[in-house]
Amino acid sequence: MRGLPRLARILAAGAAALVLLSLAPRFLERGALNDIWNLAFAVVLASSWNLLGGFAGQVSIGYSAFLGIGAYTTALLALAGWEPYLTLPVGAALAAAFSVAVGLPAFRLRGPYFTIATIGVSEAVRVFAAGVQFTGGSSGLRMPAGSFDFGTNYLAMTALAVFVVGLSAWIKGSAFGLALAAIRQDIDAAEAVGVPATRYKLAAHALSAALVAAAGSLFAINFQYIAPGSVFDFRLSLSIVLMPIVGGVGTVAGPVLGAALWSTLQIKMLSIPALRDSYLFLYGGLLIVVMLFEPKGLVGLVKRLVRAAGAGRPREARRAA
Amino acid sequence: MSGLTAVLVNSLLAAGLYATMAYGLAVIYGVMRIINLAHAGLLMLGAYVTLTLFERFHVDPFASLVAVVPLFFAFGVLLDQVFVRRLPRSGSGPSMESLLLLFGLWLVLQNLAYAVWSGDTQSILTGYTMKSVSLAGVRVGVPNLLVFGASLVSVVILEIVLTRTDLGRAMRAVTQNRDAALVSGVNAERISSVAFGIGTAFAGAAGSMLATLYAFTPDFGRSFLLKAFCIIVLAGMESVAGVAAGAFVLALLENAVSAYTPVPTSFQDAVSFTLLVVALVAFPQGLPGAAARLLRRARAAG
Repeated sequence: MRGLPRLARILAAGAAALVLLSLAPRFLERGALNDIWNLAFAVVLASSWNLLGGFAGQVSIGYSAFLGIGAYTTALLALAGWEPYLTLPVGAALAAAFSVAVGLPAFRLRGPYFTIATIGVSEAVRVFAAGVQFTGGSSGLRMPAGSFDFGTNYLAMTALAVFVVGLSAWIKGSAFGLALAAIRQDIDAAEAVGVPATRYKLAAHALSAALVAAAGSLFAINFQYIAPGSVFDFRLSLSIVLMPIVGGVGTVAGPVLGAALWSTLQIKMLSIPALRDSYLFLYGGLLIVVMLFEPKGLVGLVKRLVRAAGAGRPREARRAA
Repeated sequence: MSGLTAVLVNSLLAAGLYATMAYGLAVIYGVMRIINLAHAGLLMLGAYVTLTLFERFHVDPFASLVAVVPLFFAFGVLLDQVFVRRLPRSGSGPSMESLLLLFGLWLVLQNLAYAVWSGDTQSILTGYTMKSVSLAGVRVGVPNLLVFGASLVSVVILEIVLTRTDLGRAMRAVTQNRDAALVSGVNAERISSVAFGIGTAFAGAAGSMLATLYAFTPDFGRSFLLKAFCIIVLAGMESVAGVAAGAFVLALLENAVSAYTPVPTSFQDAVSFTLLVVALVAFPQGLPGAAARLLRRARAAG
């Protein structure tokens, strides 16, 4: 009974967001819509990663592998004559299957060991994609002519973003989400009270992998050209981890805030030539600052400020009076 | 037959360098229970500092070790004092916070290198870069031989420090049991700083030596970081000999794969990544678990 109003709230908020976003093309220029597309892309990546990395506490630095699987599946099938958007479920399914294949051994590892294994896996995938023939090697693949349509892609990406945020809001309060939280806090205790930890971690991994792959497919359709250097890039894996951590790991709002900050910075920095090459400095600096001063990210910072404001208000009110 | 000798000789030479890389990680991990992801950035920085010394002041890359090692030791102590020390200590295992903090540090170092040295591929060409000598009937490069010699020296020095000095005994005490070491009057904070310094110095030295063998960019170091992980996971970190053995196993596997299988050399790195994942899965508790299990088994046998 308690789940019903929550679900209804999430659906209502999602529907409102969808209506707003689908009306936006009538009022906004192409440049602004592009920015929204970038934001939606970032939100999908950050919120999907957060399902495993935040809710279940399994920090993976290898998500570009899933993005790449989605993008390559779409490009290869489109070149074989498929309708590009019909390839999304195929890419998502392949990424989910790959996530299970990786997760079965890797989830036997805990904490940082799992993280290191994910770096190894994503590097191996990148080396493989650049080395074999059918992916076009390091020179990449170009989508077939005529598959580009920004309007459709915009709608698909924003709908996907709204879906992922709604899904993570729903999961957070569900029995599945509580089980993931238990795994994050103390995996031994969670298993002792009957949480099938490995199965749940695999499920969260597969779900987030499928969603990231779908974003990868849309990425391929939007940019029309993919290469191991663009979709399997380590920096991409990095951004995917960074956004939720800066925003507030394990919360619903955190990854969205982190994605908003990241896509804004990305756009701002790309427009200033002098700063174009300092994004690593920025990412690294953000990680250091967040870890040293506010491991709960922007969400934690806002909470702290609200608390401080609440505590400080009486005195300020007096001073004002 | 000569093929086998070549594989063995090449593996042995590569193992020296791999061991130097792995010690840097192992010392820090042992004393501080921290996985130093910035290791890759420090390797890269070592290569660039060596390049600068070589180009500006015409210092031979191997002679530059005399400057690089103390410089990086000081840098490591500084990094510990400014960043790492401020993190909350987690009980037994390495914490996610330290991993991510050092990851951030790695990125900053990379960006620094892009800013100072640009993203162009660099390499160090000395008079002996292309020279080779015959060893047991196998042609080996002079730089490879020198790197092996320098690695051997650095490893022997570390072994002497760890076993023969009070500082080394204190480091091993903290590695084995931090609380017991604290109780018996070891200044664990200071030991941690020294350990981070030694780890960083080893990374810098390994970076200098890598620079004589490979071309490098600011992106350089990631695959070597994974190799170093692979080695300490394979070997544990209880003994210098163990790390050396792990380094040799990895080098042997890489050389054997490229010599006897049709796997192209561009996939060579994939061998160590695969081995890494297999090794991690075979020792799911990571190093302490594997070491503890071995100890228990040894005790049960003895």
